[in-house]
Amino acid sequence: MTFFEKQLKEGVFQICYCKNCNNVLWPPKEICHICHKKTDWRKSMNVGTIAEFSKKDSTYFGLIEIDDGIRVLGEISCSSEPSIGQSVKMIVSLDTRPHYSFIVENN
Amino acid sequence: MNKVAIIGTGQTRFSKEDGDVEKLLFESANKCIQSTKNCNSNDIDGVLVSTNNNSKYMGAILSETMGIQPKVSHTIEHLCSSGTSAIISAYSYISSGLSDVILISGVESATNPGQVLKWDKSRGVFEHPIYWASMLTKSHKRKFHTTEEELAIVSAKNHKHAIDNPLAYSNEPKTISEVMNSKQITDDLRILDCSRSCSGSSSILLATEEKARKISDELIWITGIGQKTTSASFTKNVLEEIKSTRIAGDSAYKMADIEPKHVDVAEVHDAFSICELMAISELGITSNEESGEFVRNLFNTENRMINPRGGLIGAGHPLGATGISQTIEITNQLQGKSEKRQIPNAETGLIHNMSAAGTSSSVMVLEN
Repeated sequence: MTFFEKQLKEGVFQICYCKNCNNVLWPPKEICHICHKKTDWRKSMNVGTIAEFSKKDSTYFGLIEIDDGIRVLGEISCSSEPSIGQSVKMIVSLDTRPHYSFIVENN
Repeated sequence: MNKVAIIGTGQTRFSKEDGDVEKLLFESANKCIQSTKNCNSNDIDGVLVSTNNNSKYMGAILSETMGIQPKVSHTIEHLCSSGTSAIISAYSYISSGLSDVILISGVESATNPGQVLKWDKSRGVFEHPIYWASMLTKSHKRKFHTTEEELAIVSAKNHKHAIDNPLAYSNEPKTISEVMNSKQITDDLRILDCSRSCSGSSSILLATEEKARKISDELIWITGIGQKTTSASFTKNVLEEIKSTRIAGDSAYKMADIEPKHVDVAEVHDAFSICELMAISELGITSNEESGEFVRNLFNTENRMINPRGGLIGAGHPLGATGISQTIEITNQLQGKSEKRQIPNAETGLIHNMSAAGTSSSVMVLEN
C-alpha cells in the first residue's frame, strides 16, 4: 500500500507537491516530472467546490475540485439538490478503492 | 514515405455472450486473407493483434496458426482505441519500409479487463464509464442546452443503422420513445444511451503500393492520421470538450490535405450518445450548439453519413476490434460495397476511435 493509500485509510487526503518548484502532482508520484526532485506531502484542507454532478438512484455524485486544482469523483451528501460552485467538506477513506465523500456546507 | 493501402478485410459477428478469443481471432484473420484476390501467408511480413484480453504472445500465436513467419509481430493494447492504434502502428512499419504487408487483427470477449481503468484513483468508487459519461452529458446539457430527445436520437439512429448490419450484436430497432423510456442508469444516462461490451473480432490487411497492386484491385488509401493523448485520468478533462479528438482530427485533416466539409462518411466513437455529439463537433463536422439538430436532421432524412454500420451503440463494442471494424466499414463504403448502408458516391471517409473518456483519440482519413 502506498503512503497516499495508508493515509486515506486513516481518513487523511495527502496532497503531493514538489518542494523545489511548488507544483502539485496528481495522482501522487515520488519524483516531480517538471524539475525531477523528490516530492513531499501536505494535508488537504478538506474543502472543495462542485464542478458537476448527477444522481444514481438516490445518491448524488459529482466531480469536485479540491486543493490546488485536484479533481476527483465522489459522493455528495446534501439535503436538497446541489448546485455548481457550491462549497463542500471532504471526508475520505479506503477499502478496495478510495472513497471520496463530500458534504454540502450550509445546505 | 511509402503510400499505404487497405487490401483486405474480415470480421466475425459481434455477440453479447462471452467468446473464445483465439477462435474469433482466427475466424476474422482467415476471412480477411480470403477476401483478397491473391494474397497468401508468404506475402505477409507483419502480424499485429489488438486486444484488452490478458492472453499472452497473441501476435506469435496468430502468426503460427495462419502459417506466417513475420518480421514484425506483437500485441497492442490501448483500451477502446486499441484497434486504430494497431492500424496506425502497422501504417508506420509499412510507410517507413520496415514491413510490406501487415495483418492487423483485433479481438475481445464480452467480459474483458479493458472496461474499467483501475489505475485512475481520481474516480474513487465511481470507476465505471457510466459515471464519466453522466458528467459529460450533464455538462453538455448545461452548456449547450442539449435535450434528452436529441441524445435519444443518436441511439435511435444508430440502432436503425444496425438493422442493416448483419454483423451487429442486435438488429432490433429502437424508437426515440423507447430510448427515452429505457432503464434509467443515472439522472443523465439511460441504458440505451450506452454501447455494450461484446465478443467479436475484425481483421484488416495493409500493404505498400507495390504489393497492394499485385494483391488487390480495390485499393483504399490511408491518407490522413492523427493521434493525441492528453492524460489517463478522466478528471483532468475539461467536461465540455474532447481535446484529444480535436487535436487528432486537425492532424489527420492536415496530413490528408482536406477539410471537415470533404468528409462523405464517418464512423465516430459513440461509446455513449453524448460521445457522438461531442465527437462530430470536435471533428468540425458541426458545432456543439448545433450537434443535436445536426443528428436530428440525419435521422429525419435517413442520411447515414455518421455511423452507417450502427456505431458502437448499434453494432456493439468489442474493445480491441472496434477501431478495426470502424475502418472496415469506411473501406467498404469507399469501395461502394456497403449494400443497404451505402452512402452514394462516397470518396472520403473518416474514422474516430477514442479511449477512457476521450483522454486519447485516433483519427484516420481514408480515400479511394
